[in-house]
Amino acid sequence: METEKDLLKPFKEFAGPNGEYYGNTFLKIQKDTLGKFHINIAAAIGSFIWAALRGNWLLFWIAFLIDLVALINLSLMAKYSQAAIDNAEKDFLVVRYEGWSADHLLGAILVFILGRLLVGWLADRFYYNQYNKWRVNRSVNSGSKSSRLVLVAVIAALIAPLMLYRSSQFAPEARTCIKQDRAIEKGETVPFKDRFDCAIIGEFPTLVWLDRPDEITYPRDENGNRYVERKPAREGLPPLDLNKYAAQAIDDGIGYLTAFYGFFFDGITAFLRTMLNMITAVFVGTPWIIAMGAILAISYVLAGTRITIFVGASLAYLALFGFWQTAMDTLSLVAASSIICVVFGLPLGVWVGKSTRGQSIVTPILDIMQTIPSFVYLLPAVAFFSIGKPPGILATVIFAMPPMVRLTALGLRHVPENTKEAALAFGANPRQLLTKVELPLALPSIMAGVNQVVMMSLSMVVVAALIGAGGMGFIVTEALANTRTGAGVLAGIGIALLAMMVDRVVQKANPTAEK
Amino acid sequence: MITSGDENVVVANNVWKIFGDRAKEALEAIRKDNLSKAEVLEQYGAVVGVKDVSISVNKGEVFCIMGLSGSGKSTLVRHINRLIEPTHGEILINGVNVGNLNAEDLRVMRADKIGMVFQNMALLPHRTVSDNIAFSLELRNVDAFTRAQAAEKVIETVSLQGYGDRYPSQLSGGMQQRVGLARALAADPDILLMDEPFSALDPLIRRGLQDEFLALSKVMKKTTLFITHDLDEAIRMGSRIAIMKDGEIVQIGTPEDIVTKPADKYVADFVAGISKLKLIFAHTIMQPIAKYEKENGKLKDIDACPKADTEDDLDTLVGHAVGQDNPVVIMSDGKPVGIVTKDALLRGVQGEA
Repeated sequence: METEKDLLKPFKEFAGPNGEYYGNTFLKIQKDTLGKFHINIAAAIGSFIWAALRGNWLLFWIAFLIDLVALINLSLMAKYSQAAIDNAEKDFLVVRYEGWSADHLLGAILVFILGRLLVGWLADRFYYNQYNKWRVNRSVNSGSKSSRLVLVAVIAALIAPLMLYRSSQFAPEARTCIKQDRAIEKGETVPFKDRFDCAIIGEFPTLVWLDRPDEITYPRDENGNRYVERKPAREGLPPLDLNKYAAQAIDDGIGYLTAFYGFFFDGITAFLRTMLNMITAVFVGTPWIIAMGAILAISYVLAGTRITIFVGASLAYLALFGFWQTAMDTLSLVAASSIICVVFGLPLGVWVGKSTRGQSIVTPILDIMQTIPSFVYLLPAVAFFSIGKPPGILATVIFAMPPMVRLTALGLRHVPENTKEAALAFGANPRQLLTKVELPLALPSIMAGVNQVVMMSLSMVVVAALIGAGGMGFIVTEALANTRTGAGVLAGIGIALLAMMVDRVVQKANPTAEK
Repeated sequence: MITSGDENVVVANNVWKIFGDRAKEALEAIRKDNLSKAEVLEQYGAVVGVKDVSISVNKGEVFCIMGLSGSGKSTLVRHINRLIEPTHGEILINGVNVGNLNAEDLRVMRADKIGMVFQNMALLPHRTVSDNIAFSLELRNVDAFTRAQAAEKVIETVSLQGYGDRYPSQLSGGMQQRVGLARALAADPDILLMDEPFSALDPLIRRGLQDEFLALSKVMKKTTLFITHDLDEAIRMGSRIAIMKDGEIVQIGTPEDIVTKPADKYVADFVAGISKLKLIFAHTIMQPIAKYEKENGKLKDIDACPKADTEDDLDTLVGHAVGQDNPVVIMSDGKPVGIVTKDALLRGVQGEA
């Protein structure tokens, strides 16, 4: 018995009041004999109060939020049953509000009961964790202190009333609030409740109203040269919020660039179109029988028999379902974008891999390029380059280039220091170091980059069909627009086969991948 | 201050290397206030790699630099081909101050004058053995034919015949290090820098390569700086040994000097476990005949005593002394000059000259 007491001593020192219970529970946890459904009744009833007394703030927040959600559901129930009474003359509203009211009541009961059970179940387990932390660091909360309840009162006072008020009221619509703003500007008196509702419980209030900017156009003069024409905004139009104002400014800027530097964008478009035409001539211009034979031969040489069988089956699918020309179209786009990605991505990757400044400049740009959803690329591409295949290629390049840059840089950085040192010790200059040591050793990583580029190009080229890049993506977008599911599924399978085919062959073609 | 010339191929004068952004300040502080390594790290965030080292390596000798890891030996040797720039001090190679060379001259010197062998071989995995070996020539834009010829020649030197067209990964560790050695020899440099070349190999192969390198070294007479953390290896390989500790040189001397007259307790502790049989010579432990005769009476029959030369080592002397009772008579120029008794021999084996 004496030893048992000793065992419980540190537990009791930590737990303070009710140490006997917690000591025995912790002992069970240590012996792995605590029941699976063990629940601390005090914690289940006391909930966040218990957690606060014991100083376990994680559990406090969990318990507090559970009770808050239950309470909000109750308040919503009250709101909707009141609304059902208020709208008694409209039957469909009564049915809707009563249904919602019942849902929220059920929600409140479920959240409350299950939540309390969860808190009770978590309590001793969290508390044991806290005990372990306390053993390492004695400043971790221990014992039970009622002073902690002050904090609980403050938190509850700050959060609960507003939350409950919000749930008991119908939020004002954005338009109502805009009208209210105007009314206040004109000096009309608006009830405090309405102003409070607009400021706190609706959309974030519009803080800035900006005067409309001048309307800017870029017409041509009699010599055909463009000039900037500014007209003040029409009288009587309401002011703009920040979003609309900035969007207008961006539109004006893009308009200015395309009006006065159009030759630059036209040049790029022409270059891309020429390049694409050359590639398309190969892919689409070759009769299907020769193209198919060539693709099979290439995959056999590069990737072996098994993959060639798969490639043959995929080609047969594309051909039999009438996708041959479209698929070749898509492949031309992929080839054009991949070539551009590699040509620009490789030197950029070398710069990033070798220079810290290059890294600090390019990495954030790459991060942005990879985070922006692919659809967003389409907008500036259309703005500057209109629609069609060239802007499709550009959007694809922006989307698919980051892995080339990253993996090239990664490969260069992983070249062993001592190998580079050895090359330097034998008199290599920086160019020789790069071409004879670093690039060859980084080749596996670079080839992985090329593979990524090809795959990402393929996926983006499909999306780029939205701006008229054509190819397999066009069939899918068209099917989506007209809800022709069957056609869309067939084209989707075609795209998937195309992707797998290209991926397998490119991967196997990578000479370093086998090792 | 030593200037290098015909005899001193590699000279380092007061070389300091301190790593960190505030190296210069730290150097001033160390010289003024004699700060310890830990104090420098704390006050300047700088690490002392090499501390005021001066060495001079003679033409054709194998100069060993021995020290434990972190003693600065690898850092020191990298100053010689300026892979590392000294914080202070100068390196002279054949009288030329390496620090004054421009980038191109430095590359020419690295490619033509200095061959380097690395502990981890650092071969290029995508090149064949021959192409690895001829790498320094390729960097100097030597044509492929000449490169192949040069590679063939050194491949023979290091006994790798028939492996020229393999890849390094197909070779064992010992053979890879032969390739490393061949690569260093390919441009026929004057100086070899060997940074723990045999440390990563297993003991038997290490021993074999040591012997082969010693034999090669006798023939080629290349000035060699040999880095090792193994005192046995240093003693086997080196004509002279510099012992480094915490970036400083504790002692420079012949293997016998190091073993018989360790400069301080650190070196003494190192030397304690070393076999002295090949390191101590007759002239060190013999006593003059006159002194011997004063203590033990006249030598009765000098012809019956075994004879040995002053330059014979303990191992040889033990061979002479066993199987009979007479002391060994040490001869020089045909005349007896000293006596080694069995007691002296046993003391010698213990390392007490």
